[in-house]
Amino acid sequence: MALAGRVDLGERRQAALDLLTQYIRIVDDPRRIEEWPALFSDDAEYIVITRENHERNLPIAVIRDDSKDRIADRVTIIREFWGAGGRAADRHYNDAWPRHVVGPVWVEFSESGDALVGANFAVYQSVQVDVAPRLLAVGEYKDVVEFSGATATYKAKKVILDTSVLQDVFVYPL
Amino acid sequence: MPINASRPGGTNSKARPSASRARRPVAPDGLRRIRWPQEDNKIPREIFTDPDLFRIEMDSVFTGPVWVLVGHESEIPQPGDFKTLSIGAIPVIVIRGANGRVGVLVNACAHRGTRLVEGPSGNVLRGGFRCIYHMWTYDTEGRLIAVSLPDDFPAEFRKEDYGLPRARVETYKGAIFATLNDAAPPLLDYLAELTGGLDRVLGDGALRFLGSIKVIFRANWKLYVENIYDGYHVTALHTGFQVVRLRSHGGERLVPNYERNGHLWGRSKSTPVNELTPALRDMSLFDTRTKPTTDHNMMVVFPSGVVTDYFDTIQLRYVIPLDLDRTQIEFAFFGRTTDTDEALWHRVRQGPEVLGPAGAITLEDAAALERVQLSATARGENVVLKGTAKRFPPYRHVDEAPIRHFYHAYRRLLGFPAPDTQKADGR
Repeated sequence: MALAGRVDLGERRQAALDLLTQYIRIVDDPRRIEEWPALFSDDAEYIVITRENHERNLPIAVIRDDSKDRIADRVTIIREFWGAGGRAADRHYNDAWPRHVVGPVWVEFSESGDALVGANFAVYQSVQVDVAPRLLAVGEYKDVVEFSGATATYKAKKVILDTSVLQDVFVYPL
Repeated sequence: MPINASRPGGTNSKARPSASRARRPVAPDGLRRIRWPQEDNKIPREIFTDPDLFRIEMDSVFTGPVWVLVGHESEIPQPGDFKTLSIGAIPVIVIRGANGRVGVLVNACAHRGTRLVEGPSGNVLRGGFRCIYHMWTYDTEGRLIAVSLPDDFPAEFRKEDYGLPRARVETYKGAIFATLNDAAPPLLDYLAELTGGLDRVLGDGALRFLGSIKVIFRANWKLYVENIYDGYHVTALHTGFQVVRLRSHGGERLVPNYERNGHLWGRSKSTPVNELTPALRDMSLFDTRTKPTTDHNMMVVFPSGVVTDYFDTIQLRYVIPLDLDRTQIEFAFFGRTTDTDEALWHRVRQGPEVLGPAGAITLEDAAALERVQLSATARGENVVLKGTAKRFPPYRHVDEAPIRHFYHAYRRLLGFPAPDTQKADGR
């Protein structure tokens, strides 16, 4: 592959894995959600869709943040609309603590040098009212990571949910 | 009055398999235990926690003389297309038959009761429904067309006697309604003046299905439904509306034909998007582009159907009680067949982002209802106050008073004593 001569795929692979780790650390920490949009490219999209709709080519997604503006808006919705996890301490609607368990992760490269990153995930959600954590979602990431120098960002992050019924509403990105 | 709603009755039709039941709501211990106050603005919390009552509701409400909203024709456009859901506790298949007509079949093999189809949707035009257990096969009308190895069956066995029970089905502007009770009046009588609101949302019925999202709310089904009647919580709970300074300008909450059924028709006019505080970079969530004004309708077809055209989001909701404290809500989204690509895409981007499980003004309902459910074991009564100075609709858009009419209809179906509508305590 001609690409291999210009870039170090091993480095890119590691950068893509580091980006995923960084992503999980941020979405699992309600105090850090402001850092979430910076993980995405300027023309990125973040989509959460059920396998049912994905496979039937139905466009309705659970979340369709198809621009950087909407990705940034999600933080405003979490903080200002829902008053979750931060400044608006008097308006906690869902005082939930998410926990992602991710793996295995697989990485391929497109002709253009983007990394195509896939991973299995389960997300648990611990809420104040329950003693037991709730299994919130199980599914697969289908991500496209692009590189600018040494920096990796998500060009697309697609979260495909295995069940057509969500087990709970959720606040923080999956 | 064509039907005495407190006495669901009717006889089983011999001409076709029927799931109807000729049963008066019994008043076993589960009902007697519940002390319902004379005032109609008080709701005993036991109705959200009593397991006996839940079982009785599945019969008296969901297989009572009501019409349950189960879908829209555009969800199953081709012959053989089907989707599954439940009417109360009864699993059903909503299917477009080979002849093009919509039917609703009970999703249980007539032989040993096996679930015939597991998935949420599909097409069975070619093979029909074949039970995995003993390979009994039904066509799209629910007729038993094949059984495996029928030798040694009793001589009187006839396939005609083992069709799938069928619900009565009627459609209104493409919306599919089903009833499992022969005593249900014709659909148009049941909907009554609510058709005025349905017309606005459904138009001529030419919708295009965009997909649905289902989610489990951890609350009793009645808490989910009464929340739609409640205009009081809207500004208090949905902080997003405050952040962008979206208000309802006028509007009203109607309870069409309230003496006979408990439908709701909420109408409101919201602040146009260009007058809102631009708290989001992309304010299309709150934009109304496909209608001449920012008038919205939010309706409940008693007992469990929701129909709305909030902003540009055309949505039907199907409310499915799973257990006392768990309710599945399916949010089904639609466009119009006349939409431009741009309008359709706007609906796709807006709908779930506002009125879906991850929607900017939906999550809070789930959180609030879960908290009501959690403390319902505290006994005592929930009370309805705002707007109750008026005895009859129309109410103001910000009133919670319409909740009373939901429970009037509910109490009639279950055979609870009627409230004293002259008394509303607590003021």
